[in-house]
Amino acid sequence: MRRSDNSPIQSNSGSNSRRRVPYILALALLLAVSLAILMTRPAVVHGGVLAVDPGPRPLPADAGNFYSTLNTNQKNITNRLTQIFTEVNFVAGGPLVKTVGMGPRFNSNSCSSCHAYPAVGGSSPPNNPLFSIYQLEGATNTMPYFVTPTGPVIVARFPYKSDLHTLDGGVHQMFTISNRTDAPGCTTMQQPDFNTARDTNNIIFRQTTPTYGTGLMELIQESDILNNMNSNLSLKQSLGISGHPNYSDDDGTITRFGWKAQNKSLVYFSGEAYTVEIGNSDEAFPSENDESIASCLPPFPVPPGTNKTKGVPDDRSDTGEAPKAGVNFPGDLERFSLFMRFLAPPTPQTLTTSTSNGLAQFNAVGCNLCHTNSFTTPKSTIVALSKVKANLYSDLLVHHMGPGLADNVNQGNATGDEFRSAPLWGIGQRYFFLHDGRTTDIVQAIEQHRSFGNGIYPDSEANQVINSFDNLSQQNQQDLVNFLRSL
Amino acid sequence: MSLSQNKNQVETQSNRWKWVRIALPLALLLAICTAATAYFPKSAKTAAVQTRTGAAALRQNVALPPGLTAVDPGPRPLPATSGNFLPSLSGNEQQIEPSITTEFNRAHDVIVTSPTDGGLGPRFNGNSCVQCHAYPAPGGSSPPSNPLFSLYNYNGATNTMPFFETSNGPVLEARFINQPGTTTPDGNVHQLFTITGRKDATGCSISQPDFNTAAAENNLVLRQVTPTYGAGLIEIVRNIDIINNMNANLTRKAQLGITGHPVYSGNDGSIQRFGWKAQVRSTLTMAAQQMNVEMGVTNEVFQNEIDQTPGCLLNGVPETVTNFTPGILTEMFPGDYTRVEHFIQWMAPPTPGPSNNSTKNGKTQFNNAGCVMCHTTSFKTPPASRPALGNVTINLYSDLLVHHMGPGLADGLTQGGAGPDEFRTAPLWGIGQRLWFMHDGRTNDIVQAIEDHYSLGNSQYPASEANQAVTNFNNMNSTNQQDLVNFLRSL
Repeated sequence: MRRSDNSPIQSNSGSNSRRRVPYILALALLLAVSLAILMTRPAVVHGGVLAVDPGPRPLPADAGNFYSTLNTNQKNITNRLTQIFTEVNFVAGGPLVKTVGMGPRFNSNSCSSCHAYPAVGGSSPPNNPLFSIYQLEGATNTMPYFVTPTGPVIVARFPYKSDLHTLDGGVHQMFTISNRTDAPGCTTMQQPDFNTARDTNNIIFRQTTPTYGTGLMELIQESDILNNMNSNLSLKQSLGISGHPNYSDDDGTITRFGWKAQNKSLVYFSGEAYTVEIGNSDEAFPSENDESIASCLPPFPVPPGTNKTKGVPDDRSDTGEAPKAGVNFPGDLERFSLFMRFLAPPTPQTLTTSTSNGLAQFNAVGCNLCHTNSFTTPKSTIVALSKVKANLYSDLLVHHMGPGLADNVNQGNATGDEFRSAPLWGIGQRYFFLHDGRTTDIVQAIEQHRSFGNGIYPDSEANQVINSFDNLSQQNQQDLVNFLRSL
Repeated sequence: MSLSQNKNQVETQSNRWKWVRIALPLALLLAICTAATAYFPKSAKTAAVQTRTGAAALRQNVALPPGLTAVDPGPRPLPATSGNFLPSLSGNEQQIEPSITTEFNRAHDVIVTSPTDGGLGPRFNGNSCVQCHAYPAPGGSSPPSNPLFSLYNYNGATNTMPFFETSNGPVLEARFINQPGTTTPDGNVHQLFTITGRKDATGCSISQPDFNTAAAENNLVLRQVTPTYGAGLIEIVRNIDIINNMNANLTRKAQLGITGHPVYSGNDGSIQRFGWKAQVRSTLTMAAQQMNVEMGVTNEVFQNEIDQTPGCLLNGVPETVTNFTPGILTEMFPGDYTRVEHFIQWMAPPTPGPSNNSTKNGKTQFNNAGCVMCHTTSFKTPPASRPALGNVTINLYSDLLVHHMGPGLADGLTQGGAGPDEFRTAPLWGIGQRLWFMHDGRTNDIVQAIEDHYSLGNSQYPASEANQAVTNFNNMNSTNQQDLVNFLRSL
């Protein structure tokens, strides 16, 4: 371990934890000492880290295709599924072909604005799409301090309520529909006070997760996840790796999606995202995301003949009424989940001498003990998803990741410092890494897995593995990084 | 509440949590003293023990509280005053009513032969929705004769009937507080039956849960069926209206010892409304969850079999999927869970019986006693995208909050934000024709059900929030008591 590597992580952990005045003083002292040490040492960013991130593989995208094995009826609806996933949402009014129901609070106006790169269904694009959305239609939003033009799309959660004691953990949408021309009458809904949240260290961020291959992930059998969890136990123990599943309160099975594995399935995931991210309430979550201002709720006074939102839920199963008459298909919620379910996993590059060795090193240092190379799906009624080997590089468990990554948010039985092993398929073309998108450098992302316990959280389970990575030869380190960028 | 009942409760608690045994003598003494203080001043008026059907089986030795003279007239006879679809559904919506009814009524076998049938097991409680949601009409709750007795050995299944199911009792499902033999919290449903032995499940050999041991270790929680009428209206009631109602009449509530709070969804932060502990948010999630948990039918929301023992996985998953075949509307409709969702969503609330002088006074007494402080008379739905569901005043008699209900009802099980002694205020619409009451169906006597809301606190749980309201009821004259009961049976 190198101090120069260590200190930024420790100071970061402080910024994520709640504090009181004595702690502030103590941390300030720690920070000062750390900085002093930093400045007296050579400027080595990753002491012992000799690999360089070659950067994301260029386009064309190696992801974003539907399974070629879909049957004809399924293939016939994929265009419609893509259309709905990419559709821009409005609040009300306008031509009847528009999708309405957005807001009153929102982070974005379509799924594909954030699930964008390297192809529709993916994650944050290199240029932040929110800058072309936040003031659309005359909206008077200001851009929160943490959103940058070339940074990742991140959403904000407040770990605690304003008393800084009661648990919150929910998403606080960045924007409101106030003063949008398609929200006539709604003028007074305020954005959350992110600056105060920052000043009280009560804000954490989560970036967009890619959706490729998720249809396979939701099928993987629980017994396979548990068997994998219980394999290589002595090796895992010697490395300090444990991990456990997050479970559904509904049926007691293992949940798999989201940064803390908090969501069971793609239907849940789409139902939640539609109302939380876009503000389009749906049949899974039929409430508007802020009901406090009547003039910001449907129905809005729009001109006759335009899209009149009737009320909640904004999106519902379509039984053939106007404005979508003749489209005999379920609601958007269902279509989103089918879109994601039918998206094939990313295609990795063919292994080279370097990446072959990189995979060997990946396994040798123990990355694969959490980033499990593959699972095979059981027999499925969707033939394209049946008995498919999914090279997702995740055990679908949550692990303690130390104070450096901890975000103080509990979700299900994933606690403040626990995160799901992020699937690594597709990271060869990914721009931003870790739950808050804190880095674009995949080498830095590896190093960020390491942090030492404090009074609140234990050591990261990845510490030993990262030490082993740092101790690899330059060639082996680089090969491992090249392997990751080949996925 | 009698001394003997209180003593029984203390003993039950002490068995359930072994550490309490150490404190048993002390707790018992304390409880007796407390109960004595509460009741001896009125003991001169102690009523004779009344024999009551149903309740009698469980509580033969329970003396009714002083002054309690009301008698349950029993459930209103058929025909059912519920079970219809909302009358204002559109023509297109009405067009799929037969399709969604078929799905609600469908009996599932094990083997899937089309996208809409099969999928039962490996573990299950029932093989159709309507089997348990049966009375007084499809969508309701437990029928007079327990349907599980014609199911458990159906088609060669070798199940034995768990001890707590009775042929004339309510349908009960089982949850375990802790994982068997451990102190690790469980809380999940443990299905009563397996497909082992069934002719359509060759090769599957799994055992039923050990309910006897669970009961002996006080690790067994029972829950009865909730009716689904009006659920599509309940799910769209605004959160803010629920909160405003919670914050109304605070002085009166404080006098009565009533608090209550919502249970929130971890997904979107909205208020959950369904299930005995308000653990489910919407008709969509309820339908999908129930298909997998109660019948073992995997679906697009819950794709994984709950038991994955080799030999018992006889179908691809999920067992019901969207039908992608182009065609007319009914064929294009999505997977079974969505059809079940819409059946539940579109069911109209029960129609109350005609009011008369007795029920009118009963409603006044219901309000006077403070019942209405939790059993909120009505909410109004907001404008809805399905016009049939929007701007409707719904007389559900629930605040959709959870409340501390005391050791007498506490089941030891935490679900989401609802603690082990907290339960959602059960909506009362339709109880005029209901056969079983309380979360575990412990009584079919609606007067006993009122009394069961009363229990004093112990070392583990605070007193029931209903204690003062029930005391107010007990202190009414016999006419007012009877009118209140008649009012409830008119719903």
